[in-house]
Amino acid sequence: MKRRQLLSSLAAFGCVLAGALLPQAPALAQAKTIRMWTFLSATGTSPREVALAQIIKNYEAANPGTKIVVETQVWDQMTPKFLAAHRAGNAPDISWVVTDFLGDAIGSGALADLNELFIKKWPAEQVKDHASAYWDLTTKVDKQYAMFASPNYISILYRADLLKAAGIDPASIKTWEDLRVAAEKLTVRNAAGQVTRYGFAQGFSEQQADPHMMIPYLLGEGEKLFRPDGKANFASPAGVAAMTFATDLIKKHNVSPPQSATWTVDDLFEQFSSDRVAMIQGPSVRVSSLQAKIGKENVGQMLWPGNGKVAHSPAVMAGWAVGVWSKGPQKEEAGKFVDYLLGAESEKIWVTVGGQSPLMASTAKAVASFVDQPGNGYIRVAAEGASKYGWLTPIEFNVGGYRQALNKATQRILVDGIAVKAALEEAETRFNRQNNR
Amino acid sequence: MTMYSRLTGVQYVLPAMSLLMLVLFSPVLYGFWFSLFRIQYGAPTDFAGLENYARLLDDPGLAATLERSALFTCAAVALTLVIALALAVWINRLGQRLGFVVQMIVILPWIISTVVATLLFRWVFVSDIGLAGSLIRMAGTPDVQLLNSPGSAMALLIGVSVWKRLGYAVIILLAGLKGIPEDYEEAAKIDGANRWQIFWLIVLPLLKTPLLLVTIVLTLSNLNTVETPLVLTGGGPGDATRILPIEVFDRAFVNFDLGSATALALVMFAGNILLVLAYVRLAKWKT
Repeated sequence: MKRRQLLSSLAAFGCVLAGALLPQAPALAQAKTIRMWTFLSATGTSPREVALAQIIKNYEAANPGTKIVVETQVWDQMTPKFLAAHRAGNAPDISWVVTDFLGDAIGSGALADLNELFIKKWPAEQVKDHASAYWDLTTKVDKQYAMFASPNYISILYRADLLKAAGIDPASIKTWEDLRVAAEKLTVRNAAGQVTRYGFAQGFSEQQADPHMMIPYLLGEGEKLFRPDGKANFASPAGVAAMTFATDLIKKHNVSPPQSATWTVDDLFEQFSSDRVAMIQGPSVRVSSLQAKIGKENVGQMLWPGNGKVAHSPAVMAGWAVGVWSKGPQKEEAGKFVDYLLGAESEKIWVTVGGQSPLMASTAKAVASFVDQPGNGYIRVAAEGASKYGWLTPIEFNVGGYRQALNKATQRILVDGIAVKAALEEAETRFNRQNNR
Repeated sequence: MTMYSRLTGVQYVLPAMSLLMLVLFSPVLYGFWFSLFRIQYGAPTDFAGLENYARLLDDPGLAATLERSALFTCAAVALTLVIALALAVWINRLGQRLGFVVQMIVILPWIISTVVATLLFRWVFVSDIGLAGSLIRMAGTPDVQLLNSPGSAMALLIGVSVWKRLGYAVIILLAGLKGIPEDYEEAAKIDGANRWQIFWLIVLPLLKTPLLLVTIVLTLSNLNTVETPLVLTGGGPGDATRILPIEVFDRAFVNFDLGSATALALVMFAGNILLVLAYVRLAKWKT
């Protein structure tokens, strides 16, 4: 009896095992999952998130055996986390890398050579189509470590409706003094003398810090933000003049809010959306989200003003590059997706749905009529700025923390009342010490 | 007790202790080893001995950060304890139904995610479009920028921390109060003790263990909190609310200086252990 029971149990187990394994054989072959870290959510509703979801959907439809899993990360922590994950051996197949840490990502060996993965298969015209400062930044000794997905041109975002009501043509803001005068015109006070709307603002919190507006001013003067050895060069005469201009907008002219000393980027966008500020320092990649909130025709972007020597001061281009993890077990498949994600077909989606400016010359031509539509002019501004008036953070040395150092200097000036030069020297010391320089 | 029976006891606890050592102490040991190296791109390179620790001593701003951390922790713990004790005594005197409702209300902040709760406070106090700013303007008083002034930013940080942890302290102290037999109070009343004497000479000494427990937990949680200052003030304005956990966070994830970040985290860890030992010793805690 016992023997019979044992035999029937074994037979049943064998059937279950066979039943479990047989249908799984093709399923296992299909289940190819590519993990990608980005700050966007594939289920989000912002224009870039919708664009990403559409691109992934298209790719998965064309490649039924592959599933792209987006693991959304906090944007300012993602790259350091990727480097730590690389070291720990559990990084995702693909990661978006911010320009400030691009040098570290390349130097650490975390990024695979995309030439080997897919670029070598491209015709020469396709490589030429990608030519830009962004492309060069990710090239090192004939290796292409990443490709830019999100070119970000950080200049002035303005409320077109408010500027129009004040009779200000954005094109008329040619110098920094013009910017101050425009900000003055746009600042509104109530009967009690309280400011109900400021002309211009930037967030100076150390958290989620965008590059400081003193950088374009300083670069326009022909000064450098870093010395060749990577040490900070904040407190140069041009740096002092630039920081003085930025803080005087608050302290002296009262056209920029003192509260911005602790505003994050998100606080700034909230103020801008709530009609509390007419012009802000902001990135091109956020224009589409802002337009979705306050109306397509109400948000525009302009280049930084010039100073008489240059027509426009160079803006920081702090975008996102996409790379494949060098130690990933599925580099080929990951490379195939990156090729698609940043290819011509997807870039049209990034531009027309996501509201980004194009990187490829062919896309710029293909979407010309879209860019000409009302409200899309910022795409042309960002593209023009990126080609003529852009500045990318150096990748020869780590520059992580420079945004925070300059924002803290601003807080010290505004809140603690210390002198501009002293605050910038303090920021230099802090940055150099933090980076062991 | 024979040698054999002692070993039998060790055998019983060995699996649990091994797991505990693996989970709790292996990261500390790894962190210590990591802190002895120069770190490049997140990976240890050359052996640097105590260089990362020496760099902490060279940082002129660290003493002030330590001072601010001590101020923040002492103020937050003291305020939480005083308010929690008062609330616990009050709730203990309430009827069962009302006491339950008040307990639920008090415990609510504790069960909300710290980031969500702190964000709510930030939205209330962020200048211009925040609720607090609107109320101040409606009252016709001059515009007060609470997050922009070093003093009020620290006060807000302490306030949010007290609000967040109050529920936990109340529940533990209330449990302690409920554990005190009513006979003690009745006997004291018969002996002619007034309410203050009953509280000071009977209730408080009997609450020594829950008070010590709450003090230790509150001290550690305030000393190591990164979410609250990061979300509420970001350490600013200037360095006004920059406390040690923010310093570790910035070194690790803003400057990517994992060597000194690990060294500082380990120094904090040692400080935490010393503090707990000091509390236990001061309170002459007997198990």
